[in-house]
Amino acid sequence: MAGHDHSELTKGGAHPHHVLPQGMIFLIAGGLFAGMAATIGAAFMIPEPLHSNTFFMQSLALAIAIFKACLVVYFYMGVKFGTRLVKIFAYGGFIWFFTLFIMMADYTSRPMEPVPGWETVPSSALPRNTVEDPE
Amino acid sequence: MSATLIDNATAEQPRNDRNYLNADHTLKSWLLTVDHKRIGILYLIAVTIFFFIGAVAAAMIRYELTSPHGILLSSEVYNKTFSAHGIYMVFQFLVVAIPAVLGNFLIPLMIGARDMAFPRLNLLSWYMFMTGGLLITLSFILGGVDAGWTFYVPLSTLSETQISLCLVGIFITGFSSIFTAVNFIATIHKMRAPGMTWYRLPLYIWSHYSTAIVILLGTPVVAITLFLVVVERGFGFGIFSPELGGDPVLFQHLFWFYSHPAVYIMILPAFGVISEIITCFSRRPIFGYRFIAYSSVAIAFLGFLVWGHHMFLSSQSVLQGLIFSIITWILAVPSAIKVFNWTTTMYKGSIHFSTPMLYALGFMGLFLIGGLTGLHLASIDTDVHLTGTYFIVAHFHYVMVGGTIMGYLGGIHFWFPKMFGRTYSEMWGRISAMIVFVGFNLTFFPQFIVGYLGMPRRYHYYYFAPEWQFYHILSTAGSTVLGIGFLLPGIYLTYAIFKGKKAGPNPWGAKGLEWEQAGSPPITENFEKPVLVLEDPYNYNPEEDSKMYEHEVESADMLGGRK
Amino acid sequence: MSGHAHAQGDGPEVYFQYEDIDQQQESYVVGMWAFLMTEVMFFGALFLIYTLYRWKFHDTFFLAHEQLNWKMGGLNTAVLLFSSVMVAFAVHFAQKGKKTAQLICLGMTLMCAFGFLVIKSFEYGAKGDHKLYPNYTFEYGAHDKDHKVESWWDDNLPAFMHIEKKEQHGDPKNAKLFYSIYFTMTGLHGLHVVIGIIAITSLMVLIIIKSPLITDYVPTELVGLYWHFVDLVWIFLYPLFYLIPR
Repeated sequence: MAGHDHSELTKGGAHPHHVLPQGMIFLIAGGLFAGMAATIGAAFMIPEPLHSNTFFMQSLALAIAIFKACLVVYFYMGVKFGTRLVKIFAYGGFIWFFTLFIMMADYTSRPMEPVPGWETVPSSALPRNTVEDPE
Repeated sequence: MSATLIDNATAEQPRNDRNYLNADHTLKSWLLTVDHKRIGILYLIAVTIFFFIGAVAAAMIRYELTSPHGILLSSEVYNKTFSAHGIYMVFQFLVVAIPAVLGNFLIPLMIGARDMAFPRLNLLSWYMFMTGGLLITLSFILGGVDAGWTFYVPLSTLSETQISLCLVGIFITGFSSIFTAVNFIATIHKMRAPGMTWYRLPLYIWSHYSTAIVILLGTPVVAITLFLVVVERGFGFGIFSPELGGDPVLFQHLFWFYSHPAVYIMILPAFGVISEIITCFSRRPIFGYRFIAYSSVAIAFLGFLVWGHHMFLSSQSVLQGLIFSIITWILAVPSAIKVFNWTTTMYKGSIHFSTPMLYALGFMGLFLIGGLTGLHLASIDTDVHLTGTYFIVAHFHYVMVGGTIMGYLGGIHFWFPKMFGRTYSEMWGRISAMIVFVGFNLTFFPQFIVGYLGMPRRYHYYYFAPEWQFYHILSTAGSTVLGIGFLLPGIYLTYAIFKGKKAGPNPWGAKGLEWEQAGSPPITENFEKPVLVLEDPYNYNPEEDSKMYEHEVESADMLGGRK
Repeated sequence: MSGHAHAQGDGPEVYFQYEDIDQQQESYVVGMWAFLMTEVMFFGALFLIYTLYRWKFHDTFFLAHEQLNWKMGGLNTAVLLFSSVMVAFAVHFAQKGKKTAQLICLGMTLMCAFGFLVIKSFEYGAKGDHKLYPNYTFEYGAHDKDHKVESWWDDNLPAFMHIEKKEQHGDPKNAKLFYSIYFTMTGLHGLHVVIGIIAITSLMVLIIIKSPLITDYVPTELVGLYWHFVDLVWIFLYPLFYLIPR
């Protein structure tokens, strides 16, 4: 039963398992710690007109986080050297994560309607009503 | 090195009467087995028990509704009864039935593998399934759950019943499905026999692959959502709590993000079963193989983008409701592609009305009705009238019972000779298939009418409209017939396991690795000779194969007449 | 297979369902990635919940997050990043077949994991002292020395009527929501760390006793994938909870 057909999705053929060299590990580690320093630094050292710009600050923090995440996923988790199949699953999972954010469309589009929305609902939840028995 | 292992195993027993069933007879050998076929049988026993519990709850509901004032149950007990029915049927039966029983049994056989990729994980997922089931059962023994299977907050966070325990059970069951799905994906990707390319896979495998993807991407979301409810009940966290400014509708969003795709977890494997049965008993190659395969994948992905159609009457924005409505209509297309392709497959085929085929034909009719009534519910304006009534109850029972359970029973009947090496009584099989079909329609069709007239779901009385009693009595009578239809296979199949006539390796004259290259029942390693796949699936020829089939039928003493 | 896998004496064991070692190793890696996909969605739902409420109650979330200790969070980030580097080295040495170096790296990872939990427990303890557990003992503002220490909820007025305090600390109700999300997400992340500790410990024990289950580098790689994922989640949790911009 030799000659299995599972090379169809492997990229490299004979050597699909890549050994990450030590220098590379150090390099990525440097990138990760630099990213961490950048995150903290950005949160406290960005000068004022930008510092109170929530959108900018948040985007910057997330961009750095995504950069760090990419380093980890590509190199430490070996997606860069992985088979095509591993790539599909890795990318697929992270991309599919964003379908959840379709839910945000609901909340952003509620104010478009001429009916009282989420905000104006009384803030107290009613206690569970006791339904009276018909008989 | 693997070859030596097999040789040692084969040397112990003579080749002919060795199979996975008689490899070992101790209870321990069953409970600690890593053989995918035995795990499939373990699942078969487990889901049958859970189905029975759910069916008893259903019977109580139907009995209660025969009178406009209710007969048997108080409001609280009725709430717990329909919750039990929903929870057992959805989480412990429908989601697992076909993938875990037939999928576990057949996927390695169909792709030419010796076992699943991770046999021990497979066994672990059975134990997790049983743990989840036992916790759910415990929660009902300790007082029950009254929030329905949907567990909407704030009802589920305020209710004083055993919801936390039940949710923990469902959480564990969910992870059992996830592990099964991981296993399926690794197996289908990596364990295929030489020559078994993607387009030579049976459509059954495509369906299960799509199902596994849906389980992987959907189940964790509902798991975390239910976990948050448990945390809220246990520790007073309030993520969905309106008192804190949270949004209960967010729970519905997250719940249906899984639970709508869960519908496809239930129905996609049934599609796979039906594809196999239709093409086998029509003796024709499946029509539009790639269309059916791609439509499975399309359903799996589009199925994730329609959850909002369960929430048209929540505070979801109308804009998003419209978008969800449109995508839902689009989603009808791939399902329709499948039905058209099955119909075309039968055209000019040599059709045999054997038991599995009867179930498959019943499936097509019932799924058609279920799917088309789904379109009434998919458009916002009619949904406003119909949602929360028995119309919707009838609709999803047509899809779930008429789809999944017909597919499941059809599959069980189709592969029964493969699983146990024996044949059941064809006459009783056909009779019970007819009984199920008639009983099913009698049960649920009146519910469309009474739902259209306005009967709300989850009520245990309708004293305000006693004229509906006629429909409810029809429905209850139908459910009795349906119950008999489910009980009969239980009897004659159990009888056939022990006393049935021996089946050859291929009693139906079907194509596919599991029929042509494995014994009935298969040996522990599935195949005695190395498997090499050289031809496309479903290589049937209507004229030649029908003759061969009759010969096979006579030899197996079965009554497979031709039309 | 590449040479390093066979460098360990007899070579790795192939289970009976597989044809060869290639197939077995790839199956394990694919299975792990499929599981990680699940984990992404598992935390994904929580990130969605965070996004929604943060968007909705941004000001309160900003004010509430000031009670979190960003220095401790930063220290934890460093600890986890370091552990991730150690795991990367462990996989590297496992592929090279250097067992001692691999065990040292795994041991360092384990120590980092415990260090993470210890720092986390200090943080959680401080939250408890300030009555910030989002359960029935939640008393937002109890930490505030400038105001009266007794509970806001003792007043007859509902809490959101305290206008001046609301300006300073945000709406206490929404702040409780913030802490609910904070404790759920960091708690689940901590649970993953605990599972990681169990996995790494078992791996080390199996390597030390020369178990037949560990005959090549793949188990180490799988544990490594899991641990990197744990790190990945924290990479996002840290800026989102500890460094919320105004």
